[in-house]
Amino acid sequence: MKGLAPLFLGIFGTFAFSWVGLTVIPNFQIGHLNPQSDEEGTDIYPMPQSGMVARGARVYAANGCIYCHSQQVRAPYAAADIDRKWGDRRSAPRDYIFERPVFLGKARMGQDLANIGARAPKEEESPPPAPAGGASPAASPSPAGSPSPAKQGVASAEASPAKAAASPPASPAATASHSPATSPAPKAPMSPAPASPAPQGAAVSSSPAEAGAKAGPAPSPAAASPSPAAAAVAAASPAPSPSPTPPWPEQTAGLPPMYSEAWHHVHLYSPRSINFDSNMPSYRFLYRTRRISDMPSADALQLTGSDAPPQGWEVVPTYDAKCLVAYLMSLNQTHPLKEVRSAAPPAAPATSPAPGAQPPK
Amino acid sequence: MNATGIPLREPEVSAAAGETEQLERALIDASTRVPVLMFYTSAVAWLVLGTFLAGFVSWKLHSPDFLANISFLTWGRVRPAHMNVMVYGWASMAGMGTAIWLMARLCRTVLRYPLLLVAGAGFWNLGVLLGVGGILLGDSTGYQWLEFPGYAAIILFVAYTLVVSWAVLMFRFRRGEQIYITQWYLLGAFLWFPWLYAAGQLMLFVVPVQGVLQSAVGWWYANNLLFLWFGAIGLGTAYYMIPKVIGRPVYSYHLAAIGFWSYALFSSWTGMQRLVDGPFPAWMVTASIAATILTLIPVATVGLNHHMTMQGYFPLMRYSPTLRFTVFGAMSYTVFSLVGVLISLRSVASYVNFTQASIAYSHLGLYAFFTMVIFGSMYYIVPRLIGREWRYATLIKLHFWASAYGIGLMTLMLLAGGFLQGANMESPSLAFSESTETVLPYLRGRSLAGILLTASHFIFAYHFGLMLFGLGRKSTVPTFLNPVEAEAKAH
Repeated sequence: MKGLAPLFLGIFGTFAFSWVGLTVIPNFQIGHLNPQSDEEGTDIYPMPQSGMVARGARVYAANGCIYCHSQQVRAPYAAADIDRKWGDRRSAPRDYIFERPVFLGKARMGQDLANIGARAPKEEESPPPAPAGGASPAASPSPAGSPSPAKQGVASAEASPAKAAASPPASPAATASHSPATSPAPKAPMSPAPASPAPQGAAVSSSPAEAGAKAGPAPSPAAASPSPAAAAVAAASPAPSPSPTPPWPEQTAGLPPMYSEAWHHVHLYSPRSINFDSNMPSYRFLYRTRRISDMPSADALQLTGSDAPPQGWEVVPTYDAKCLVAYLMSLNQTHPLKEVRSAAPPAAPATSPAPGAQPPK
Repeated sequence: MNATGIPLREPEVSAAAGETEQLERALIDASTRVPVLMFYTSAVAWLVLGTFLAGFVSWKLHSPDFLANISFLTWGRVRPAHMNVMVYGWASMAGMGTAIWLMARLCRTVLRYPLLLVAGAGFWNLGVLLGVGGILLGDSTGYQWLEFPGYAAIILFVAYTLVVSWAVLMFRFRRGEQIYITQWYLLGAFLWFPWLYAAGQLMLFVVPVQGVLQSAVGWWYANNLLFLWFGAIGLGTAYYMIPKVIGRPVYSYHLAAIGFWSYALFSSWTGMQRLVDGPFPAWMVTASIAATILTLIPVATVGLNHHMTMQGYFPLMRYSPTLRFTVFGAMSYTVFSLVGVLISLRSVASYVNFTQASIAYSHLGLYAFFTMVIFGSMYYIVPRLIGREWRYATLIKLHFWASAYGIGLMTLMLLAGGFLQGANMESPSLAFSESTETVLPYLRGRSLAGILLTASHFIFAYHFGLMLFGLGRKSTVPTFLNPVEAEAKAH
C-alpha cells in the first residue's frame, strides 16, 4: 500500500461509519424519549429518582452488583424471563430514560432485578415473619373483578389479579372477604406471597404458609384450584412442606417477608442465612454492629442463628445500605408502556391459572 | 541455513543483508531500548498484580465468604479491578511496547523523541494506578470496561496523547515508500484507540446519552477496544513475527489488504451483539450479528494468509519460542472469532447471553489471541533490547504450556458451564438457583485453570526479571526451545 492518505482516510472512515451507525443513529432514534403520561397528563412514567435512590444507585455501581445482576426483562419469544416472573412485560428503552448509569447488566449469577421493587410486599401491610415458603403466589381469584382502572396494567403475569387488587386501594372489602377463604392459587414462584393484597393480618399470614405447601414454579391448574382445606392444612404446619422444586430464594422461617426492605437488609448482610445455596457475597461492611444504648433501633436487622449479634448488641444498616435498599425497592417496570405489549395482561387467562379467575374489566 | 535445512536464525543474518542494514537495525533497537523496556516492565508488573486479582475473583465466585467483609476486597470491586488492570495495565502497555518497537523497525528510523514515550508510560501507569485504586475504594463509574473514575480517565488520555503523537511523528520520519501490513494495523490501532476512548468518555460522562444508549455506547466501546485496539495490535504483530522468524515473505499481499479492510469495516460493527434481546431497536443488534458473521471474511483471509506463509515451516514451532506463541495466538484468533459468531446467533444468544460464556469469549480474545501474540513478540524483542538471550529454554516451555493449557481449560470450562447455565436459566420449571449451581463445578475448574495461568505468569515474570537485570545468556544464538544441533544429528 502506497501513501499515507488513503490509509488514514480508510482508518478514519471505518471508524466513523461504525460510530455513526451504532451510536449516533440510535441516538436519533431512541435518545430523546420522554416519559409517557395519559391524556390528563397524570400517571407519568417513568419518574426521575432522587435522594436516597440516586445515592443507592451509586452504591450499586461502586460494589459491582452489575457483574451478577442484570436489569432487563427479555421478550417472551426470546427467553424465559417472564416465565420466571422477573417481569410482566419486556423492558423497553423508555423504562431507563432517567437512569444514569444504566445497569442493563451482562451476567446473571443472580436474579434479574428489573422488577425487584415491584416484587416486594406492600409496605403498609408489612406482615409478621411468615413461617413458610413464600413461593407461591397466590392469585386469589377473587379480586379478579376488582375495579382497578388506573393501574390495571400494573398487573402483570406476576401480578395476576391478586396483586392488581393490591396496588390500587380499590376494593379492600372484596379482597378481604375472599382471600382467606379461597386458597391462593400459585401465582409467581418468585413473587412474595405476602403481596397478597388482603389488609388483614390473618389473610396475609395464611397465604405464605399455604404457598409453601405447593410451591411450584409452574403453576398448574390443579394446584390453583381453590381448596380451603388445603389452606387450612398448610397453615397448620408452619414448616414449609417439602416441595418438589423449591423456588429460589426460598422464604425462610423467621425472616422478614421476601423482598421487603427488612428482607433485603438481612439478605445483604448474610445471604446464606436466607438461601443456603446462594453464592452472593455478603456486604457486612455496609452494616455496623453496635451496643444497644437505650432501646433497640428500629432499623436493627432481624438476624437469626449464628448471624445474630451477641446479647445487648444490634446490627444496623449504614446510610449507604439504606440507600442501596431504597434503590432496590425503587426498581419497578410494571407500569405499562404503550409501545410494549404486556406479555400477560391481567385479563389473559393463560397466565393466571386460577380457573375461577374472572378477567377484570 | 543450518543442518535441518530450515532457517532458524533471523533471516537478516543468513540472508543477504548487508553490514550496514544490520548496523542500522542494531541502532534502531538500541534507540527503542528505554521506552519499550519501560512499557514492558510496567506491563509485567501489572500482569502479576492482575493475576493475583484474577485468582481472587475466580475463587470468590464459588466461595463467596472468602475475605468477604472488607469493603475494598468485595467481589464486585475486585472483579472490575482485575479486568481493568489486565486491559489497561497489562495488555495495553505490553501492546504499546511491542507496537513502538515495530513502528521504529518498520519506519526504519531511529526512535525520535523518546521523552514523549517515557512520559507517556509514566502517566499511563499513574492513570491505571489511580483508576484501580478508585475502583477498589468504591469510585467505579458502573460502566463495564470504563470503570475508571474521571480523574484516572483524564490521565490515561493525556498519557495516550503523548504516545500517539509520537507514533504520528515517527510516521512522518519513516524511510521507504512501502507501508508494510503491520504498519496498517498499528496505525489503525494508534488512531482508533484515542477516538474510541474519547467517544466513549464523551458520550457517557461529558454529554451523556439517554438511558439504554449508555449501554449501547459502552458495549460499542468495549467491543471495539477488543477488536480495533487489541485485535489490530495482535494481528499486526503476527503479520510481522511469523514471516520474520521463518524468513519468508507473507504469502499474499492482496489477501492481507482484503483482510485488513474487511476487519476494520466489519469488526467495528460487532458491539451490539452483546445486547441481544435487550431493550433496543432490533436493527442494532441484528446489524451487529450480521457484522459478526461477516468477520468470518477477515478471519478466513488472515488465517489463510498466515497458514500459507507457515506452510512447510510448522516444524519450526518446535524451536522458536516467538513462533510458537505467535502461531498459537493467530490460531486462537480464528477460534475467538468462530466462538463470537456462535454465541452471537440469536438462537444461541438467548441461552448464553447472561452466562459465563461471554467471559469465555472475552478471555479468548484478550488472552488466547492477544496476550499469546504479545508474549511471542516479547520473546523476540527483549533480547534485542538487552543484548542477552533468554536464559532458560525450560522456563519458556513451561510458560507456554501452562499458558496454553490454562487458557484452553478456562475457555472450555466457561463455555461448557455457560451453556449449561443458560440452558437451566431458560427452563423456567427449574429454580433459578439451579442455573448458578450448575455452573459452580465449572467455576472451580476455572480456578484450576487460573492456577496454571498464575504459574505461567510467575515463570514469565521471573524470566523477564532475569533479563532485565542483565542475567540473560551472552550468546549470538537465540534461545531455542529444543536443541537444534542434537536433533539434526539424530535424524
